[in-house]
Amino acid sequence: MSRFAEPLARLIEELKKLPGIGSKSAQRLAFHILRSSNEDADALAIAVRDVKASLVLCSECNNITDVDPCVYCSSATRNLRQVCVVEEPTNIASIEKTKHFNGVYHVLHGTLSPLHGIGPEQLRISNLMRRVESNQVDEVIIATNPTVEGEATATYLSGRLRRPGLRVTRIAMGIPVGSDIEYADEITMLKAMQGRHDL
Amino acid sequence: MASKESDAIVLRTYPLRESDLLVTLFTRLEGKVRGVAKAAKRSKRRFGGALEPLTLVHAHYDVREGHELNRLDSCEVLESPLAQEVSYPRAVALGHVAEVLDELLPDHEANDAAFRLSLAVIAALRGPNIWMPITYFDLWMARLSGYLPDLSTCMVCDGPLNGSRAFFHALADGLMCPADKRLASSEISVASRGLAELMFRAPVDAFTGMPWASGQGADLRKFLIQTLQRHIEKKFVTAGMLEKIAG
Ligand SMILES: [Zn+2]
Ligand SMILES: [Zn+2]
Repeated sequence: MSRFAEPLARLIEELKKLPGIGSKSAQRLAFHILRSSNEDADALAIAVRDVKASLVLCSECNNITDVDPCVYCSSATRNLRQVCVVEEPTNIASIEKTKHFNGVYHVLHGTLSPLHGIGPEQLRISNLMRRVESNQVDEVIIATNPTVEGEATATYLSGRLRRPGLRVTRIAMGIPVGSDIEYADEITMLKAMQGRHDL
Repeated sequence: MASKESDAIVLRTYPLRESDLLVTLFTRLEGKVRGVAKAAKRSKRRFGGALEPLTLVHAHYDVREGHELNRLDSCEVLESPLAQEVSYPRAVALGHVAEVLDELLPDHEANDAAFRLSLAVIAALRGPNIWMPITYFDLWMARLSGYLPDLSTCMVCDGPLNGSRAFFHALADGLMCPADKRLASSEISVASRGLAELMFRAPVDAFTGMPWASGQGADLRKFLIQTLQRHIEKKFVTAGMLEKIAG
């Protein structure tokens, strides 16, 4: 028997399914929603419903979007011939923050992951391959994470993409800016040495 | 609360709550243990690349009375799989080693032979041939866990199999002669049984650089995987992926 009225208990149960939300947080959020105005509660409910109803994957790049193609792929000012491959849609924001990349993206929605049974067949690259095969691309920048899975994905992709006239690059790895070499672990230091460049 | 430290091989990590990681380690000190790496998911600063699967680390962890999970304080990288290029086949092979260790090792039971085997096989997996180290690893893990049947006699009639044809079956506990083989058995070649004999007598380094034909030892690996899977009563995720690479 729940300590809360049934609709409130149901809201708490649903909130608890969100990542990082335990029972306490779910209760706090549920009571906050209960105390808020009808308009605010409605706006939240509608926003939740619309996010599922109106968002799709961009047919060009797999980014999550409400218009297809997405804002990057349909932009008149971006360089469609330079494609940056990322693991997740959220990674796009990190690259956009630099304000130094004017190409477009390709979102994999994951990586090769042997321990999860995710092999090359499950990797979402068919639309990337289509773009490359029809000579629409000069450079593919592979910006997967510097993990075993991200590296395996990068190596696999570079093999699949390799062809005359296409440059395939990997983002650099190494010491974080503002940190101290003294505290770098040996693998980060090794990558930094391997990725050194001429001055 | 007791603090412990040990060389360890990282087997797997799972996200835990918002920012923590649950880490399964194969420690030299006390075998397989699980520990929570606080804030490891959000801030990579503390653990860096140390929690990537099959990294050899020196781990410091706290054992808390009444808690099943240890707290992982720090991991210093001794040897990372990221130091060499990670091809997809190599990633699958490393994943296979991690999965087999995770499934076969009991909790809190030191196993120095398996630890030394793992270190040697991980080192051998820096090279281009993944099949030799994988075959060696599966063979020795089957033997060390006590699941490997006698490869020289028929399990039904006890007759010697040396130099003659031999068969295995997913539901049988050993090899069978042509007269006793079951329906839908697979054959394991004389050459592969010979390879197993050689692998029992020499360290894995002895086989690096040895010419390795495509498909060599595939029957032996299939037999070993079936043997291990029958005992753990589940399938290895990475076994199917290895098969696909082999083509
Ligand atoms: Zn797009
Ligand atoms: Zn027999």
